[in-house]
Amino acid sequence: MKNIITLIIIGLFTIEANAQISKAELVATGLTCSMCSNAINKQFKAMPEVENVTTDLNSNTFTINLKKGNLLSPKSFKDKVEKAGFFVGSLILTIPFDNIKAGDNLSYNSKEGSYIFVDTKPQTLRGEVKVQVLDKGFLTQKEYKKLQKTFSKYPSYAANNNKNFHLKTL
Amino acid sequence: MKQFLIFVLLSVSINVSAQELFVVTEPASNMPTGSIGLRLAQSLMKEKYKPGNNYHVMPEIMWGANKNLMLHVAAFISNRNKNLITEGGSIYAKYRFLSKDDLHQHFRMAAFGRVSLNNSDIHQEEINTMGHNSGFETGIVATQLINRIAISTSSSFEKATNNTETYKFPASQSNSATNYTLSFGRLMYPNKYKSYKQTNINLMMEFMGQTLNRNGKSFLDIVPSFQFIINSQARIDVAYVKEIYSNMLRTAPNGLYLKLEYSFFNVTK
Repeated sequence: MKNIITLIIIGLFTIEANAQISKAELVATGLTCSMCSNAINKQFKAMPEVENVTTDLNSNTFTINLKKGNLLSPKSFKDKVEKAGFFVGSLILTIPFDNIKAGDNLSYNSKEGSYIFVDTKPQTLRGEVKVQVLDKGFLTQKEYKKLQKTFSKYPSYAANNNKNFHLKTL
Repeated sequence: MKQFLIFVLLSVSINVSAQELFVVTEPASNMPTGSIGLRLAQSLMKEKYKPGNNYHVMPEIMWGANKNLMLHVAAFISNRNKNLITEGGSIYAKYRFLSKDDLHQHFRMAAFGRVSLNNSDIHQEEINTMGHNSGFETGIVATQLINRIAISTSSSFEKATNNTETYKFPASQSNSATNYTLSFGRLMYPNKYKSYKQTNINLMMEFMGQTLNRNGKSFLDIVPSFQFIINSQARIDVAYVKEIYSNMLRTAPNGLYLKLEYSFFNVTK
């Protein structure tokens, strides 16, 4: 019940923002071979929203530049990696913000989903900012287990509903 | 023999070993969703009780149905009757039910099953639903990948039925078997990746064993192999199959194995 109330409160005070992802830096886990990496690479390249993809095969880091006006959410990247048979170990997004107030538990909505800042100092975000997605499925399984405890103070974090994404500014 | 085996196992686990795209066994991982793989497996096995070689060709189509399910359809062609004749085919499915992934490593488990038809004569005690017997096989496979090394093991139950009305399964033989495999693979080249175009070389060592359930007769094969991965899309595997132990009738246990494979990504949704 407490969780629901908190979510409603977050919802009431959430700002509608036009903040599309311009770049995604993704580390995939569970692979070491170039054929496996290519499977992920081809998944990204087949997305119409993707401008280009570069890969560091040694660290399995994919840098994905996106076209303007895309409506991709972090889930889009996770789904593609999992379709290729692997998992996301880390996802860092570059988002051009337009005066968004960030800080612990502050949030904003965009067409693709709700974003809630966690572990973030109060600040106003202007221009391109890097944020890390800290939800389940966007971290290694070990890292997620650790954060589950640390982030128990954020009720929406435990809800884990695929539409609320928790961001930390970097 | 036992000492030799221990030596091989040790040297494999310390020095050699590869990735998990094994040559004669399947890993727990699947192909990417929506991709289609074309495979042409050929084996040239030396006949033990007559002159010549037993040549098998196995074209296979593989499909990643979703992230956890993979399907194969294969045809069996061989020169068992002098000319190359299509003797049958099989349908295979593998379902990945466990994944524990981390940076540069994973542990996965999958269940698999195969149903095969074959109309050739039954000429040995070994049960092999990949090209010799009609029947089915079902089992479980577990694969661990850590950096450049992959280790995989599987266990399965295999049952042979009559091949045709003429070629019935001999009542005197055990019509079911338990299979075990143990595979090691190691990425040998490159040390550091530069691009997808770079050819990868994997070295593998696989062990395949079978015990017939009714009489306990068994065999164990060792299969060393080289694998080349070209353009991160094509595979060439060259393997040598050598029987290291057997007390059952097998007509052509030793020989060469050549497997060609090409992957088409994102063919289906």
